[in-house]
Amino acid sequence: MRRAGAGVTLAVLVAAAVALPFWAGRAQPYYLQLALNILIFAVLALSWDLLARTGQLSLAHAAFFGLGAYASALLVTLAHVPIALGIAAGGLVAVIAATGLGLLTLRLRGIYFAIATLAFSETLRVIAKQMRFTGGSSGLIAPPLLGGSLPAQYLFILAILVAAVAVSWGINRSRWYFAFTAIRTNEEVAGAMGVDVVRFKVLAFAISAAFAGLAGGFYAHVFLFINPFEAFSIATSVGALVAPIFGGLYSTVGPLIGAAVLRVGEEILRTKFRSGYLIIYGLILAIVILYLPRGLVGLWASMRRRGRAS
Amino acid sequence: MGVDAAAWEGLVSLLALIDITKSFGGLVAIGDVSLEVRQDEILALIGPNGAGKSTTFNVISGLTPPDAGRIVFDNVDITTRKPHERARLGIGRTFQLMQPFHDMTVLENVMVGELFGHTTPKSIAAARRDAAEVCELAGIAALMARDVGELGVADLKRLEVARALATHPRLLLLDEVMAGLTPAEAARAVDMIRRIRSGGVTVLLIDHVMSGVRDLADRVTVLNFGRKIAEGPFDAVARDPAVIEAYLGPEGGSGS
Repeated sequence: MRRAGAGVTLAVLVAAAVALPFWAGRAQPYYLQLALNILIFAVLALSWDLLARTGQLSLAHAAFFGLGAYASALLVTLAHVPIALGIAAGGLVAVIAATGLGLLTLRLRGIYFAIATLAFSETLRVIAKQMRFTGGSSGLIAPPLLGGSLPAQYLFILAILVAAVAVSWGINRSRWYFAFTAIRTNEEVAGAMGVDVVRFKVLAFAISAAFAGLAGGFYAHVFLFINPFEAFSIATSVGALVAPIFGGLYSTVGPLIGAAVLRVGEEILRTKFRSGYLIIYGLILAIVILYLPRGLVGLWASMRRRGRAS
Repeated sequence: MGVDAAAWEGLVSLLALIDITKSFGGLVAIGDVSLEVRQDEILALIGPNGAGKSTTFNVISGLTPPDAGRIVFDNVDITTRKPHERARLGIGRTFQLMQPFHDMTVLENVMVGELFGHTTPKSIAAARRDAAEVCELAGIAALMARDVGELGVADLKRLEVARALATHPRLLLLDEVMAGLTPAEAARAVDMIRRIRSGGVTVLLIDHVMSGVRDLADRVTVLNFGRKIAEGPFDAVARDPAVIEAYLGPEGGSGS
C-alpha cells in the first residue's frame, strides 16, 4: 500500500513538473525561472548528499560546478561542439577532477577533508581568474542552450535532476547503500568486513561530481555569462551542503525538499524584507540545524510516528 | 626468535606471523614476534596492557602495516594485502571498542559482512537471509530489527561477533569479547565461541577474563612489552615465572 502510494505521488510530481512550463511558460516566466533555479539547486544538493553518504563532507562542489561551466563554455565557443555535448563534457571533466581529488584526500577525515576540498575549489577559482584562455576576471560568454527557450531549458535540467534522482534512489536500494553507510560510520570496520573502502569513496566522488559538473555546464548556457567569482563561488559549495542538512541527509527526498524550501523561502524573504533578508534566512537555517538534526524529513517522520501512537 | 620448524611438524598452520616488528615513533609495539595459529584450534593471546596484543590483531587484519616481517595465511603471503582482501580471504575480526554502524539496524550491520566479505557476490535477499542465520548463532536473533543505539554492552559484543561471522571467516580474531560482561554473560560467550569453533572456524582471541581463557584456549601465547615471553597450555603458562613477573611485577606476588 505504502509503495503504491509513493509511486502515485512520484508520478503526479513528475507530471506536474513536466507540465509546469506549458502553463507558466507564457503567463508566468518569473515562476518558471524560479523553478529552473530550484532544479539547479536540487541537482547540486543531491550531488553533495551522494558524496556525504560515504562520510566525505565536501566543500568542493563549487569546483565541480565551475569546472563543468568553464569546460562546456570553452568547448562550445572554441571547438564548436554542440551545446548539449559540451554540457556532457563538462560533467566528464568534473568526474576526472573529482577522481584525482578523491584519491588525494582518501586519508583525510572531517574538517581536514573539508578544508582540503575548499582549497581545491579556491585554487581553481584563482587559476580561472589568472589564465587568459578563461577570460581572466571578466570571464566568458557562453551561447544559449536550446535557442534560449526557457521552457525547453527547464525540461533539460529537469531531465538531469530525474537522472540524479534515479541514481540516488538506485544506490540507496543496492549493495552500495550498505558500503556507503558502513564507510560513513567507520572506515576501519568497513574494511575489516570486506568493503573496498578506496573504491567506493572514489566512486562516490566521481558520481557526485558528474551531476555537479552537468549543473555547472547547464548554468553557463542558461545565464550566458560566467566569471571566476560566480562559477567557483563558496556560496555554491555552502548551498550544496545546507540543502541536504536542512531537508534530511542521506536520502533522495531530503536534499530535494531542502533545496525547494530554501530557494522558495529565500525568494519570499527577499521580496518581503529587501534589506537584511539574509539575517532571517540564516536564523531559520541555524534553528533547523540545531533543533532538527534529521532535517525536515526527520521532522515529518517523527510527527507521523507520534500521530500513529496517539 | 625465528620460527621453530621442528615444532610445526604434523600440524597444519593456518596463520603464521614471521618476525613481525612494528614501532610507533620510538616505541616498539611489537618486536620480532613470531606466532602460529593452527587449523581448528583456539589460541589465546594474553599479556598486560600495552603488551602489543591489539597491534598484533591490527597487523593480522591489515589495519597496521608491519615495519618488518611476513604474514602467511593458508600458505599465501598476505603481508601487503589490504584489509578488505584479507576479509575476503577468510580473516574476520571484532573490535575491542564496539563500533557498530550507526544509521543501520542490527540485521543491516550483519548484512555488510554477508554482502562484501566474500569473493562471490551475493544478492541483497540472500545476504538478508544468511545474516539472519548468523544473528541466530550469535544470540541476537530477537534484536535484528533494532537500531544499534538501543543495544546494551553484552548485545553489542554479540553484534561484533555476528558481523565478523558474516564474512564467513576461516580464522576469527576476537578482541576482548568477554570483557565487561557479567559471569553469566561471559559463560554464554564461552559457549558461543565453542560453537563457532565446532563449526570449523579457527579462533585467535585476546582477553583479560582468565576464567574464560582457561576454559576455551587450547594454547596460550603471552606477550609483554611487545615480545613473546611464553607459549603453551594455560596451566603451564600460568606457572611460568616470567609470566607471573609480567603480570605481578618482580616480587612475583609473594606479598599476597
